[in-house]
Amino acid sequence: MSVIEVRELTKVFKIPKKEIGLTGAIKALFMPKYEQKTAVDRVNFQIDEGEVVGYIGVNGAGKSTTIKMLTGILVPTSGHARVLGRDPHKERVANAREIGVVFGQRTQLWWDLAFIESLNLVARIYQVPETRYKKLLDQFAEMLELKELFHVPIRNMSLGQKMRAELAATLIHEPRVVYLDEPTIGLDLIVKERIREFIKEQNQTKSTTVVLTTHDLGDIEELCKRVIIIDAGRLIYDGPIETIKQQFGKYREITFETIHSSERVTLPSGAETTHVEPRRLTVRFDRTLTTASQVAAALMNQIEVKDFSLSEPDLASIIKQIYNGALNREAA
Amino acid sequence: MIQSLRRNVSIYSAIASTAAKARLAYNMWVWADFFATIISMFIFVYFWRAVYAGETTLSGLTLAQTINYILLARLLAPLVETRTIYFFGYMIRQGQIAVELTRPLDMQLRVVVETFAELATFLVQRLPLFLLAWLIFGLQLPSNPAVWIAFFISLILGQAVLFLFDWMFACLAFYVTETWGLSVVRIGVGSFFSGALVPLVMMPGWLQNIAAAMPFAQAMSVPVSFLSGITSLADAPRLWTIQIIWLAALLILSRVIFSITVRKVTVQGG
Amino acid sequence: MTRYLSLYGYFLIQRFKILMEYRLNFFIGSASTAILQAASLATIWVVMRQIPSLNGWNFYEVILIYGLLTMGESITHMFADNLWTIGWNYIRSGDFDRFLVRPIDPLFHLLADRFCHDGIGNFVTGALLIGVSMYSLHVALTPLRAIYILVAVISGGIIFIALNLITATSAFWLTESIPVTQVVFNMNEFAKYPLNIYHNAIRILLTWLIPYGFVSFYPASYLLGRDAGPVVWLSPVVATVFILIAYRVWLFGLRHYSGTGS
Repeated sequence: MSVIEVRELTKVFKIPKKEIGLTGAIKALFMPKYEQKTAVDRVNFQIDEGEVVGYIGVNGAGKSTTIKMLTGILVPTSGHARVLGRDPHKERVANAREIGVVFGQRTQLWWDLAFIESLNLVARIYQVPETRYKKLLDQFAEMLELKELFHVPIRNMSLGQKMRAELAATLIHEPRVVYLDEPTIGLDLIVKERIREFIKEQNQTKSTTVVLTTHDLGDIEELCKRVIIIDAGRLIYDGPIETIKQQFGKYREITFETIHSSERVTLPSGAETTHVEPRRLTVRFDRTLTTASQVAAALMNQIEVKDFSLSEPDLASIIKQIYNGALNREAA
Repeated sequence: MIQSLRRNVSIYSAIASTAAKARLAYNMWVWADFFATIISMFIFVYFWRAVYAGETTLSGLTLAQTINYILLARLLAPLVETRTIYFFGYMIRQGQIAVELTRPLDMQLRVVVETFAELATFLVQRLPLFLLAWLIFGLQLPSNPAVWIAFFISLILGQAVLFLFDWMFACLAFYVTETWGLSVVRIGVGSFFSGALVPLVMMPGWLQNIAAAMPFAQAMSVPVSFLSGITSLADAPRLWTIQIIWLAALLILSRVIFSITVRKVTVQGG
Repeated sequence: MTRYLSLYGYFLIQRFKILMEYRLNFFIGSASTAILQAASLATIWVVMRQIPSLNGWNFYEVILIYGLLTMGESITHMFADNLWTIGWNYIRSGDFDRFLVRPIDPLFHLLADRFCHDGIGNFVTGALLIGVSMYSLHVALTPLRAIYILVAVISGGIIFIALNLITATSAFWLTESIPVTQVVFNMNEFAKYPLNIYHNAIRILLTWLIPYGFVSFYPASYLLGRDAGPVVWLSPVVATVFILIAYRVWLFGLRHYSGTGS
């Protein structure tokens, strides 16, 4: 069943043009000029129940504008968005009951209140039944290690503690769709791991649909099977993470440690040196044109190799390629 | 010596000009202040006209004198407000106090320069309001330059007195942490006893004595009385002497209290 | 409706827990507004002790006007203070979005988010002034008058809230709305004194356009048995009309926000 449905979704902002000088300011007062900026440009996608989708793009690509339209904060300029069959803006309250949102660094909890009081208040706002609330509280406390935080006000929490508290508050009403904006930014590895586990667990036991916008590719590799990439308001990729890896990950790198330094080596076609240091040499090759063993054999014939290592491409470098327009070139 | 003096002057003038720019940047605030002042002038003028409906003089003042005094007091009212308390609050909350104390400038001198720069910008900014007060309510200003000089001297002395008092009072912010309430108390008491709301001569004797024992009148009633023609120039030397005594006393007191407070705070590691 | 009421009660309890944590600030905040009132009252006293009446209103009669105004003001101060800081604390920071993803009315959420204790000082001051005035003028507190005062104070509070809501809505365009609110709000000072001391134009302005007259002057005229015509019964009507208009304006601003989101 499709939970989120986005068709030709577009958002155009009118931005008043700033004029210079006093006469400019007066002119702007009476005849304001506007610039049009298309933040989201005819985007289409569907997300099914229980999917965990990575929604990625550079800053200003249109990620948060999309999320704001899906949560009912903004109205689309054209096209439409449906969440659980509803128009998120027109049926804002009904939509709000079914969703949970983490807005990056901002907290939805009350700064001066003890965490448990904040949670109680949130539970009341969402009308979570008393017995259900108690049960969830115990579960969350264990999974996110919240017990010792219950009586701490948010203002006294560390970044990691705040994010754990935030997640608990976002999921306490068991939303069917969750939007997470940078849930692990600035956190240490152990906390990151715990938060990812928690999201995974919620998704598996409750079929919660998760839309994750993040710059942390570790989050995406661990949580998402599918990614949607947006750039300059346009959707540029939507599909399994494996496909990108295959499509863009056709390059491998081998690093050789050699006995003597050597600058010039002959390599099979499809391979090239990318980095030369004294007694260290990095070679990149295209998997569709040659193989690791061919490259290694060719090199070992020419120089004496002490050790070598092969590295898988990581998602970070792939995404960087996509942003740099690799996809457009591929299509052309 | 001259070199270091010049260096200091240039540093402080840079501070002064940034403070002035910061004030002008809040364009909307300037307009709001403009309208709010006009409104408050309307209220006061109608109020006093009704007060004088059956009297020719009150406490020796005619309606024209009182209205002239009150208009000037309205136009200059923000001079008895305070920014020092907010500034202290900001420094305490952000932990900025430690940074400020390590700078190679005298902190009190730096803040006084900022405060006076703001004051000057503020006076220039309000010039159109003086014009409006003249057009709508017939505000009268003296033509004798000596009166203007007397006004400015007593204004600067009085503002310095008030600044030093605020410096002392703001030290309380280190103990209470909430500065909003403190400044409301200070503005409430200050505007009444400074003569910004009612001429001090109209108060009963015991209230006048209290007002004289407080520094607020030095910053408002004394200079405005010159400008509105209530005080004659012959009184100037006596009034200036009083202001200078206030100034000297508060200069010492404010610095002593500030250093005691800072020492206490830094010892506690707050 | 009952859900919102019980939710508001719960918000209030949480707020008091915070306030009790900062007990000294709570005290200073409540007392500070009372001190501000004292300065203003002392001014009136200093002036009025020299004259028999202000355009036919003696000191205690002026105090009744003043007390009614102060009570009306205290209601917006206590229950709707967030209207002042909507731009600074919620829109600029993006925290306003948080209200829009919650299943309750965003205006309710905004107002419930912070009960402001500073208004308590004004509430008590206003009540005391009304009491002192009526006692000194030998105006007995009959059941009818008690109900009339109650209705007048609530209507007055709603008029204050309505005007602040209209001006606060400008934050959706300007981000910062305090200067706009300040200008309109300051006009309440006109209503500290009998409206008949002003030029007719000002009186009409304060009756029909920025109706602070209905917070203080007209109710006081009724309580003192002065002949001011049928307007003395209009406070609740004016309050209802203005709050409905204000809510429309607010919805209009909200729609603009959903279009631009800035």
